[in-house]
Amino acid sequence: MTEPLLSVHELDVRFGGLAALSGVGFHMRAGEILGIVGPNGAGKTTLFNALVGVQRPTAGSILFQGRGISGLKPHVIARLGMTKTFQNSALFPEMSVLENVCTAALLHHRLAAAKKKAYGILERLELFDIAGEDVANLTFPQKALTELARAMATDPKILLLDEVMAALSHEEMDGVIAVIRRLREDDGIGFIVIEHHMRAILSLCDRLLVLSFGQVIAEGDPGEVVRHPDVIKAYLGDSAGAGHA
Amino acid sequence: MKTLLRRHGLALLCAALAICLPLCMEDSDYAMRIATMALIFAAASQCWNLSGGLANQISLGHAAFFGIGAYTSTLLYIHLEVSPWLGLVAGGMLAAVAAAMLSVILSRLKGHYYALATLAFAEVLRVVANSWSSVTGGPIGLTIPFKGDAPLAFQFSSPAGYYWISLGLLALCSLVFHRLASGASGYRLRAIRENEVAAEVSGIDTFRLKLRLNVLSGALMAMCGTVYAQFIYFFDPDSIFSLSGISVKVAMMSIIGGLGTLPGPILGAFFLVPLEELSTSFFSDTAGLAQCVFGIVLIAAILIQPRGLMAVWGLRHRFMKGART
Amino acid sequence: MNGLQALLDGIMLGGIYGVIATGLSLVFGVLGVVNFAQAEFLMLGMYIAWFLWAWLGIDPLLAAVPTALIVFGVGFVIQRTLIERVLAAPPAAQIFLTVGLMMVLENGALLAFGSSFRSVNVPYQSEGFQLGSIFVGAPYLYAFLAAVLVSAALWLTLSKSWLGRAIRATAQDGMAAILMGVNIKQIYGLAFGLGVGLTALGGAVILPYITVSPTAGGQFVVLMFTVVVLGGLGNVAGALLGGLVVGVVQSLSAMVFPVQLQNLVLFLIFIAVLAFRPQGLLRES
Repeated sequence: MTEPLLSVHELDVRFGGLAALSGVGFHMRAGEILGIVGPNGAGKTTLFNALVGVQRPTAGSILFQGRGISGLKPHVIARLGMTKTFQNSALFPEMSVLENVCTAALLHHRLAAAKKKAYGILERLELFDIAGEDVANLTFPQKALTELARAMATDPKILLLDEVMAALSHEEMDGVIAVIRRLREDDGIGFIVIEHHMRAILSLCDRLLVLSFGQVIAEGDPGEVVRHPDVIKAYLGDSAGAGHA
Repeated sequence: MKTLLRRHGLALLCAALAICLPLCMEDSDYAMRIATMALIFAAASQCWNLSGGLANQISLGHAAFFGIGAYTSTLLYIHLEVSPWLGLVAGGMLAAVAAAMLSVILSRLKGHYYALATLAFAEVLRVVANSWSSVTGGPIGLTIPFKGDAPLAFQFSSPAGYYWISLGLLALCSLVFHRLASGASGYRLRAIRENEVAAEVSGIDTFRLKLRLNVLSGALMAMCGTVYAQFIYFFDPDSIFSLSGISVKVAMMSIIGGLGTLPGPILGAFFLVPLEELSTSFFSDTAGLAQCVFGIVLIAAILIQPRGLMAVWGLRHRFMKGART
Repeated sequence: MNGLQALLDGIMLGGIYGVIATGLSLVFGVLGVVNFAQAEFLMLGMYIAWFLWAWLGIDPLLAAVPTALIVFGVGFVIQRTLIERVLAAPPAAQIFLTVGLMMVLENGALLAFGSSFRSVNVPYQSEGFQLGSIFVGAPYLYAFLAAVLVSAALWLTLSKSWLGRAIRATAQDGMAAILMGVNIKQIYGLAFGLGVGLTALGGAVILPYITVSPTAGGQFVVLMFTVVVLGGLGNVAGALLGGLVVGVVQSLSAMVFPVQLQNLVLFLIFIAVLAFRPQGLLRES
């Protein structure tokens, strides 16, 4: 068996007396798409923040490509190949789509090359036509794709997507799912995806992790995990039938 | 040539004006002195604009670096007879160290908190300069020994000497500003201004970039302090480390002119310095009038057009676009 | 000078610092704006109390009440006409609006009253109380007692009255306060008025032992901010405690350092607290 690309052991994040994450552990292989679900306040975004270095873990270890990255700054972790998108769009509001992507591409390239790379990414994500648009004028799916494009520009090996599909219609969601799959096929990028839409999670993810009150309560094949009694009780209980938890 | 004129027309016009000015005003020492003072403050305000305008670090303590420059060069000259030209460099280096330390200590602070801490830093230096009399001369201040026309000792008999040096200083500060505001670093700084966490996650070393800005800003500000001291021959702790006289004034010029734009501090300084001169010379018996007017101008500027004179004249957009491409 | 005496002197001063700084903390807590002009309202309070004494012969300790009311009104108007308009603006606009206000008030006072120092004459000015080896000057004691009284009144107002509850609700969650039927704009104005009024009141009660001039506020700027930052910006109870700490530190450091350097100790504490515990010493991180 090959070495996992990312392995997390006994991760704790505490805010004062409150434990946001306790004893979280999981592994991830290159090119895998891992889904994370759980009720509001379960610690999903905190987990993302800890992985990319925005939030310093209280205890535990994060190994990325065999190297401990816990406590490193976000820009160092981005350089190593892991970055995230933000739950509520955090694009640079007064910059154009191209400028947003180009800024991130500067991580590994000089300005001229970064621009070229940014155009390339925009072309792949079918955003080329709106490259000059200010991000304030974008539609929801365009914003989601621009977030994705900006993160792609840092050449990630693992990309964490925090509810990129929130506020999208079913068709728009299918479009984004297709894009994520294509990026995985073409570039071998692994994804960790936080999403509330069960339909998106089930059609996209290879494996599912369920968080509740800062702990992993179930892990495995998406189809099986959602039928696990603990999960239904903790999370899906009242809304499983609705298809949208 | 045509495109050069179109793109840099205004800059060329200003440069031509700056060079012709001394020729027209050679007879008027008074006008030359005002122009020189405006140049020094434009340069100092450009330094503030480096950290305040480009990285959104609102400092209320830039007088600290100004004073470090003035005291370093003057004390070296008085006690060790080191030429103020070397003092200029020494002051710049000392201020760079101070700015680096401050930048590290305050790296987590933003907005109001950053403003408060920088204000206190300048106050600390003011208290030290006031009480460490054996070295700094204490509250009495320092007077630069008059040498007449001695360019090596940074002294000139005609105002034109100071004028050219101040113009050079402003050009240097503006060049540094331009280099940082454009190209790759311009993208990164705009990203930091607009969303610092997202910038960091996108691979930008926000700490190092801000450190670099603060060090350059502090070092250049100290050089402005040295030139200012040589120009006016006399200063004391309360005036050189002054909150309203220096720290707020240089910030205000950037804000009134156009925060984060290259011409902003220059416009601001050439608006405020003559205004101050006029109000003190017309109403010389009413102390405080100039400062009071400044306060009103500042409040009015923020309420009416927070983007400054640049926006009033519709120029800001052009310059921001210029910085983008 | 013995330690006990220094401690007592520090507490006397600290009580006043507490009241002055409480106003600043209240403004930040409710409006989220650091009022750089706050110390100028101290100066304003001192002038108003001085004129009430000079024209009407009212003792500054009594004049403190009308003084606070006048400055409350001034503050209310300033908030509604100026501060209100930058509440949603970036910090730079907020900072420089209040800095501009500071310049106008200080230099306006210079234009209106000249640069001369003014002081009051009250019968108890040179009196004092001897307790063994410890001596307390009457003006200091009375000012301290006034500070204690005002703090108690403020605490009662904030905890018991409708206004106090509305102010606290606004400070905690403006949106929720609106939903509960609080006129939040009105509350902002009242809170700002109350904040600067308190500071002005502090200025009035210290008039028997301090002279007033247009730069009187400037001497208190960093001191006030130190008090507030020690207690945590926006934390009203913290400001009172911070005031006592600063008063005692100032008075004890005067035993060790020359007079000019006693503020230096405070400024360094101030920067250190800001850098390492910006939430104040009292609150959990």
